[in-house]
Amino acid sequence: MIPTPPPNDEDQLRHHSFDGIQEYDKRLPNWWLMTLYGGIIFWVGYWAYFQWFHVGLTGPQHVEQAMARVEATRLASAPTADDPSLWKMSRNPVFVEAGRATFNTICASCHTEKLTGAIGPNLVDQLWIHGGKPSEIYVVVDKGVLAKGMPPWGPVIGAKKSAEVVAYILSHHTEGETIEVQTAWVPILPK
Amino acid sequence: MSDQKITIEFNDKVVRQFLLASVIWGAVGMLVGALIASQLNYWRLNFNLPWLTFGRLRPLHTNAAIFAFVGNMMFAGIYYSTQRLVKARLASDFLSALHFWGWQLIIVAAAITLPLGFSRGKEYAELIWPIDIAVALIWVVFAVNFFWTLARRREPSLYVAIWFYIATIVTIAILYIVNHLSVPTSAVHSYTLFGGVQDALVQWWYGHNAVAFFLTTPILGIMYYFLPKAAERPVYSYRLSVIHFWSLVFVYIWAGPHHLLNTALPGWMQTLGMTFSLMLWAPSWGGMLNGLLTLRGAWDKLRTDPVLKFFAAGVTFYGMCTFEGPLLSIKAVNALAHYTDWIIGHVHGGTLGWNGFMAAGMIYWLIPRLWNKPLHSVSLANIHFWLGTVGILLYVGAMWTSGITQGVMLNATTEGGTILAYPNFLDTLNTIRPMMLMRVIGGGLYLIGWFLLIYNLWKTVAGAQPVNGTIEVFEDVGEPVADEKMTLVGTFLNPPVAFSILGVGFSCAWMFGGDFMSIAGLIGLMLCVVLAYAHFESRGKSWAAWYDRLLVNALPFTILTVLAVAAGGLIQIIPSVISHRAANVEDRLQIPYTPLELAGRDLYVSEGCYNCHSQMIRTLVPDVLRYGDYSRLGESIYDHPFQWGSKRTGPDLARVGGKYPNIWHLRHMENPRSISVGSNMPNYPWLLTTPTDVAALPVKISVQRTLGVPYPAWTDAQIAANVDTQAKGISDDLRAAGGYVARDKQVIALIAYLQKLGKYETVAPFKAVPR
Repeated sequence: MIPTPPPNDEDQLRHHSFDGIQEYDKRLPNWWLMTLYGGIIFWVGYWAYFQWFHVGLTGPQHVEQAMARVEATRLASAPTADDPSLWKMSRNPVFVEAGRATFNTICASCHTEKLTGAIGPNLVDQLWIHGGKPSEIYVVVDKGVLAKGMPPWGPVIGAKKSAEVVAYILSHHTEGETIEVQTAWVPILPK
Repeated sequence: MSDQKITIEFNDKVVRQFLLASVIWGAVGMLVGALIASQLNYWRLNFNLPWLTFGRLRPLHTNAAIFAFVGNMMFAGIYYSTQRLVKARLASDFLSALHFWGWQLIIVAAAITLPLGFSRGKEYAELIWPIDIAVALIWVVFAVNFFWTLARRREPSLYVAIWFYIATIVTIAILYIVNHLSVPTSAVHSYTLFGGVQDALVQWWYGHNAVAFFLTTPILGIMYYFLPKAAERPVYSYRLSVIHFWSLVFVYIWAGPHHLLNTALPGWMQTLGMTFSLMLWAPSWGGMLNGLLTLRGAWDKLRTDPVLKFFAAGVTFYGMCTFEGPLLSIKAVNALAHYTDWIIGHVHGGTLGWNGFMAAGMIYWLIPRLWNKPLHSVSLANIHFWLGTVGILLYVGAMWTSGITQGVMLNATTEGGTILAYPNFLDTLNTIRPMMLMRVIGGGLYLIGWFLLIYNLWKTVAGAQPVNGTIEVFEDVGEPVADEKMTLVGTFLNPPVAFSILGVGFSCAWMFGGDFMSIAGLIGLMLCVVLAYAHFESRGKSWAAWYDRLLVNALPFTILTVLAVAAGGLIQIIPSVISHRAANVEDRLQIPYTPLELAGRDLYVSEGCYNCHSQMIRTLVPDVLRYGDYSRLGESIYDHPFQWGSKRTGPDLARVGGKYPNIWHLRHMENPRSISVGSNMPNYPWLLTTPTDVAALPVKISVQRTLGVPYPAWTDAQIAANVDTQAKGISDDLRAAGGYVARDKQVIALIAYLQKLGKYETVAPFKAVPR
């Protein structure tokens, strides 16, 4: 046992007791007071920075600036998505393998992992709804076809992955095969 | 004063009743919690039954834990301690009984209506309007019983526990009533009076302060009574009690907007929410310090006494959570943690660690005293403590890991920050599955501990004789003598109150005033602080003397408490409510729902979709990359209730409209896994077979019109025709896509609603708003 220190003023109990409960009246710890004052000072500074002098950006300003930078980076690094380049990519195993991974994560839920279609159309036959040229497929992936329920994937997976996915689809096709455009299309649904 | 001594017997019967109710409802609430936690990992546990799905049971779990478990525990603790602290029996046996049975009836009504899908669609405020009225009435019964007992007290001065009880009673009354204002459309359905951002603000003013004044202040009061009693030590510091009580009740109310950081909520309120949350750290820790430091000199008892173990750990968890709260309120931290399991971990640290352990400590302390028999087994209580502690640590640790992991994955970008690293939401969900299992194990251990308490209680109480406490007092009721009585003038015209009011006034002038007012306010604030400091240093004794006088005057004390808690709420809510709707619109205005879409929205609310899906794209790059352009205020302005959500177990739905074809939604509602491999969402087969309640729409639309949604004055027939045309369109489209559902079924309405989400018209900011 540590010996009881000599009583000082703080160790005096208050006169009153409530149902036998007594109270000391100890000083508030300095670190606690500093935390309290620190919080208050931070409030003054933070409010002044954001709400008074408007140095700090608002949420919308911040996100719009950041999204503009994202857009600029995208524009600067967009790959060439013309027909010859896409065909070339579709014969490159690195591109195709990367495309397969992306496809199975996000596209397969509608087009199935075999690309034979369900909610979304079949991608291995020669029938195309929005055109079967590589650049046309790329536009569908990138911009989507909202009326038919195809979401725009460009903003989600980016230009490089979109090109990879198109390369993966094209790897199931041969350059110069017949393309039949069929606009009236009905989904094949799971039983 | 008469010298005649009399013996009064306390009403401990109602304490025993509340205590037993708390123990039983606690078990029910935790069992439901364990079930819904398991459902997140094993979707089959939703059993394809409407009343057993996650969306309906999660409100039951939260309401049971808050209002049934902690509520009953709080009433037991308040009634037991108040009678002894003021040396008076509870004022009315009738009101006490009415309070107890009324409250249990409310809980039973909630336990029936919530699984049936009757819901207001606001968290911890789901109960339908007739039950809300019952809650308000029973709360008034509680208040009358409590203040009437205070009025008959034989102990003139109010102990710190009573301060916290007073703050609880008055504040919960204000919060509950304002957040439950609604206009009924039927006996079981209503629309909230507030909509959009106003509703969001009111909801989190309520939600945050329900945590403060239902789960914190009453339990602090209980701590101030039971902890020194059990430790047999004096309370560490009276002046710390004073400072932390007043700073806590004042600051807490302002912090509500920290639930809406980085959302469309106006920036100034987000700033208030964050900074006041940080200011709340010290006041909260004041309570922890007074609890833990009171144990000084009694630490050796912790080895043997389970009551003190529970109290010491409970107060420690309180300290942990009240540090974590301000941390999570920092906007940058919140950007990662909000909508994830981290928040779930945070609240369970509070409910399991602070509320649950304080409850267990109090119950183990009370059982021998209420039934006059030693506890059946102290070792079982010790085992309960260790099971509970390990359970909480597993639970909270799992949720921290899970929340941070998912938050980091959801926010991760690649390719120079231009695209998401994990565009498929399910990748992030399936990464945290082991942690979701760990959470069930932790919660399960905690629940086993609770069952040990029930067994221990049962073995102790069986065959024991209930006893009521007694006390010998002088016959006279202690009215404050004339020179101690405080008038209204005396309540306000004194240094502490005057300086506080001036300080808050100057602060507001600085924050909200124009150029000149701001500067004047800041100078005034600094002067005020300096003057108050100088005055306190020179005449501190008069401050203390005034406060001693205040403590023997319950009414002035209550008035000042109401003022302290009202300030923050008034300053945040009034500008938002009275400002013209146009000011809450920004540059986009929601297109009102068609009748069919409105019916679908009511289904969305009723099924509790908001428990897992938000409708709020924050002003954060990862949110915009994943879900589309950030949400504007105007886009939910007609939403009664708002459905911004607070958790993303699934993805945000603010702009899901038009993203997928109708057939996608049909297949997804029927069996989410047929579309989204690895999803943990329940199946909703009944939506394909149950008809939509079209007959209710005319009344609903008329109420919406009353609330200010610009619907034309349709006749019932026009509404029916409108519904039929839109439903036929969707049904035909589904048929064309190979999935037939009759047009009168609920899923058609729900699809109509989901396809509407994110539809708006562009308006010039701050004008061109209809009506």
